[in-house]
Amino acid sequence: MQISLRDVSHDYAASDESAPVHVLDDVSLEIASGDFAVLMGASGSGKSTLLNLIGAVDRPTRGQVFLGEVETSALDESKLTSLRRTAIGFIFQFFNLIPTLSVAENVAFPLSLARRPKSEIAERVGEVLQRVGLPHRARHYPNELSGGEMQRAAIARAIVHRPPLLLADEPTGNLDSKNGALILELLREVHQSLRPTIVMATHSDVAAGFGDYVVRVEDGRVQPKLKIEN
Amino acid sequence: MADRDAASRPFSIFNFQFSILKALVLRPLFREKTRTALTILGIAVGVAVVVAIQLANQSALRAFRESVDAVAGRANYQIVGDVGNIDERVLLALRPLWKEGARFAPVIDVEGMLEPQGQPVRILAVDLLSDLHFRDYRYARIETGAKDQALGDYLALFRPDAAILPAPFARERGLGIGSPILLNVLGHRRTLIVRGLLQAEGPATAFNGNIIVCDIATAQRSFGLAGQLSRIDLMLPDEKLVSRITLPEGIRLERPSRRNERVEKMLRAFRVNLFALAGVALLVGMFLVYNTVLISILRRRKDVGVLKTVGTAPRQIFAAFLAEGLVFGLAGSILGVALGYVLASAILRAVGRTINTLYVTSAPQAVELTPGVLLLGVLVGTVLSLLSSLQPALEASRVRPSAMIRAGLQQRVAHPRMLLLLAAACFVAGALVSRLPPVGGIAVAGYVAVLLVVAGFSLLAPAIVQATSRLFAPLLERTFGIVGKLAAVSLPASLRRTSIASAALSLATGMMVAVALMVGSFRETVRIWVDQTVSSDLWLRPAKGLSNAGVALFPPQVADELERLPFIRDVDRVRGRDVVYRDTIISVGSGEFDVAAARGDLPMIAPRSASKALLDAVRQQGVVVSESFAIRFNMKIGDAVELPGARLPITGIYRDYSNDRGVVVMDRPLYVRTFNDTAVNTIVVYLKDGVDKDTARKTLERTFGPKHRAFVVTNGEIKSEVMRIFDQTFMITYALLGVAIVVAVLGIVNTLSALILERTRELALLRVGGLSAGELRTMLVLESTLLGIASTVAGLVMGYALSWILIYVINKQSFGWTIDFYTPTALIAASLGVTLLASTLAGLAPARLARRINIAAALKSE
Repeated sequence: MQISLRDVSHDYAASDESAPVHVLDDVSLEIASGDFAVLMGASGSGKSTLLNLIGAVDRPTRGQVFLGEVETSALDESKLTSLRRTAIGFIFQFFNLIPTLSVAENVAFPLSLARRPKSEIAERVGEVLQRVGLPHRARHYPNELSGGEMQRAAIARAIVHRPPLLLADEPTGNLDSKNGALILELLREVHQSLRPTIVMATHSDVAAGFGDYVVRVEDGRVQPKLKIEN
Repeated sequence: MADRDAASRPFSIFNFQFSILKALVLRPLFREKTRTALTILGIAVGVAVVVAIQLANQSALRAFRESVDAVAGRANYQIVGDVGNIDERVLLALRPLWKEGARFAPVIDVEGMLEPQGQPVRILAVDLLSDLHFRDYRYARIETGAKDQALGDYLALFRPDAAILPAPFARERGLGIGSPILLNVLGHRRTLIVRGLLQAEGPATAFNGNIIVCDIATAQRSFGLAGQLSRIDLMLPDEKLVSRITLPEGIRLERPSRRNERVEKMLRAFRVNLFALAGVALLVGMFLVYNTVLISILRRRKDVGVLKTVGTAPRQIFAAFLAEGLVFGLAGSILGVALGYVLASAILRAVGRTINTLYVTSAPQAVELTPGVLLLGVLVGTVLSLLSSLQPALEASRVRPSAMIRAGLQQRVAHPRMLLLLAAACFVAGALVSRLPPVGGIAVAGYVAVLLVVAGFSLLAPAIVQATSRLFAPLLERTFGIVGKLAAVSLPASLRRTSIASAALSLATGMMVAVALMVGSFRETVRIWVDQTVSSDLWLRPAKGLSNAGVALFPPQVADELERLPFIRDVDRVRGRDVVYRDTIISVGSGEFDVAAARGDLPMIAPRSASKALLDAVRQQGVVVSESFAIRFNMKIGDAVELPGARLPITGIYRDYSNDRGVVVMDRPLYVRTFNDTAVNTIVVYLKDGVDKDTARKTLERTFGPKHRAFVVTNGEIKSEVMRIFDQTFMITYALLGVAIVVAVLGIVNTLSALILERTRELALLRVGGLSAGELRTMLVLESTLLGIASTVAGLVMGYALSWILIYVINKQSFGWTIDFYTPTALIAASLGVTLLASTLAGLAPARLARRINIAAALKSE
């Protein structure tokens, strides 16, 4: 899925009456379908906001955001919901599994929402759990997993409905280096086999090495892409 | 060092405590305005109900007390008869005390009817000359109508037909000097002439100004009271004189206030019951405070953890959260007192009407907010709020800082098995306690048992919520997919909060069901009782309705005349009066036992046969007594009721629901002999076979209506009048419980809203994952519906347990009534339906809140 941001600015309204905070300032960015793009920048530089705008979680104050041919910045809330449900997979720093559902139920969540037949859900969940190496944890609850396992479950949930776009916000930020490396390997494997567009925000140079190119975000502006030589 | 010095200064310590308070309590309270408002409103409604009931009760009693005081005037003692009037010759015995400064005033104080309006009035007949010592007539100017008040005008007051009316009373009825007024007193109908008007002060204000003053000789002559007095008012300058007064048997010397005390005692069970019902709303309010403070702690656990980490003492944390309870309590109480004051005026009419119908004539007018009630409202609300916040505040102060910083730890219920054991202990204790006897006529044990059952069910609440969620999970998942599944699993996930909301709603529902069962059973019992008791064809009465039963009377000749009509088979002359027995007020009734034995069907407790009991009573010169009398005075068949000059053996105990004071019924000749009273309240008429009831009724109305101002009522009308009074009496009960349900539903809205605030991130993530706003709303409404189901089911079971205590312990001990158990299915189904619907709708408010969640902002707070 191709991503286009055209002259996008984003402000956060401050809680009191002081001036709004400019997070993104006139950003234009193109990410081609099937790319593995990495967003890097200091804390508060606007990476996560950029990710939220791409992920149809937030709307830009000015400018346009396109996912494929669709201008998401012009869609209403219900269309955005349906877009998130079908076309996007999210991976977070803190895993964000639903604590009251088992691993299998968490992974099945996007398919359940789409009301897919039970047999299809079971098959797909089994498949992705196998892929992320967690078939033995299917019936466990998130609080019974290690950090690395939780993130693998989160990745399984993000890819189970085969979205054309995967967004990852600091996916290794809460893991030790060994587990972090395993997760990045998994992401690479997913990228190579399923060919989704992946946008990953990270602080880590090691993590950045897994992408096709790096986009630096500094003070609300994006720098030219920097190709990564593997 | 400087820091330590600063910290040791009291001002700084106060400052520090205040900043903790500000950070942990005050700011969040202002930030979460809706939730704060809901909690305060919950307490306010609870306090309002208690205050309103107390105010209405007080006003109703005050109206009576003030009337008694206004009529008693300056008397410090009264001579009264136990069973009725006293002989005026008692005055002679008092004469030697005159020279020692004692003053006495003979009084006739009776109820009567002003006709043709049928207005109940009080007749106060005194010695107009000597009475000035006693009653404050200084402001009660006698207006004679003439500009020059000549001596002749005053003398007019002593004419044998003179009546003196309060000026407002006369004005309202278009009466003036010289107007004739027709009075029916004790069955004697006389026309008096208004010869004087009193200003509305002193005794003229008693009984709401519905009072007619006349000379004692006029009253004795006009109303068949020759030689009789209602009482003698005394002013004794020295207490020592009391011992020098010797009185014949059945006549006593007492303080005027004794009458008030007796009436208050008579009303005590009624008042305590109302107050206990009001307490339900307050108890539900307590759950609300408990939940709110607990939620505050859960939501601010991170702040608490940080504060603890930087060295805040546990007692400071404890004080801060206790202060939150205090803030809620104070704000809710003050608002509640104001609300209660408004509510009291509405309730007063209902309470006043019930007291009027069932107990004594009292015409409460206005509600007066006394400092006592104000203090009661504020104290009850504040203390209960503080108590409710005690446990969560203590818990917050004890938990280790690290545990507080980590999320989710406080949401599960600690020691679930212990809760089950404690619940079982409560139920066992409740069952045991309910067997204890009453204390001073109040069913203390019953109320304690109710509290224990409520406590037991509250302890069960977590298990009930969990079981309900588990039970409904498959169905919800099948019907609503993942949304249903999420709803079913999220309630047990935050069990501590959800179970408290559920406990509050269960309590309100349980009470509603219990009272519906109690009132429904009572109503059905009374209906069957009335059907059985009122077996006659027609009643002839001197007044419309049942409410003025004691006031209007027939002379005995009316019944004699009636008996001679060709289509009449039998008549039963019924007469009753209030009598002081063992220093409390009871009712004495009379009828013609031979007629009742042959035609009536008195529902008996012992012996089985009504006619045997009645005929035995005739033979032995005995009485039959009501169940409430037997229970109150611990009497059985064979025991004797001692009245002055008479020892009356009990030959039967019957079921009676007409009053809770206790009724002693005797054959008419015995009654006439004992009380020297031949008047008749009601004539019960049995028609000959084949006589058409309607024709008979019309004939009686034609013959007796204009002549004796008689009203003919059919047994059907009597039955529906009894049921109308019944429903009117219990209307306030339903209203009070409705309030409790409202408070509990507020609790659900409050809890679910708080849960939304706490789950903001979780809900935002669901939204990111593709859950639509509509699905989110469905999920939250399903959650509140599940809570509603758990609560109504628990409430239904609790209701049955509580109704058992209400019917067989509290009612029996307070009023002495045996009630058969009936289930008013439609009423219970309707109240459960309303509760369930309300709890479902309660999910809509939080759902609106959830829709407004800013997903990006919520994710950012990671």
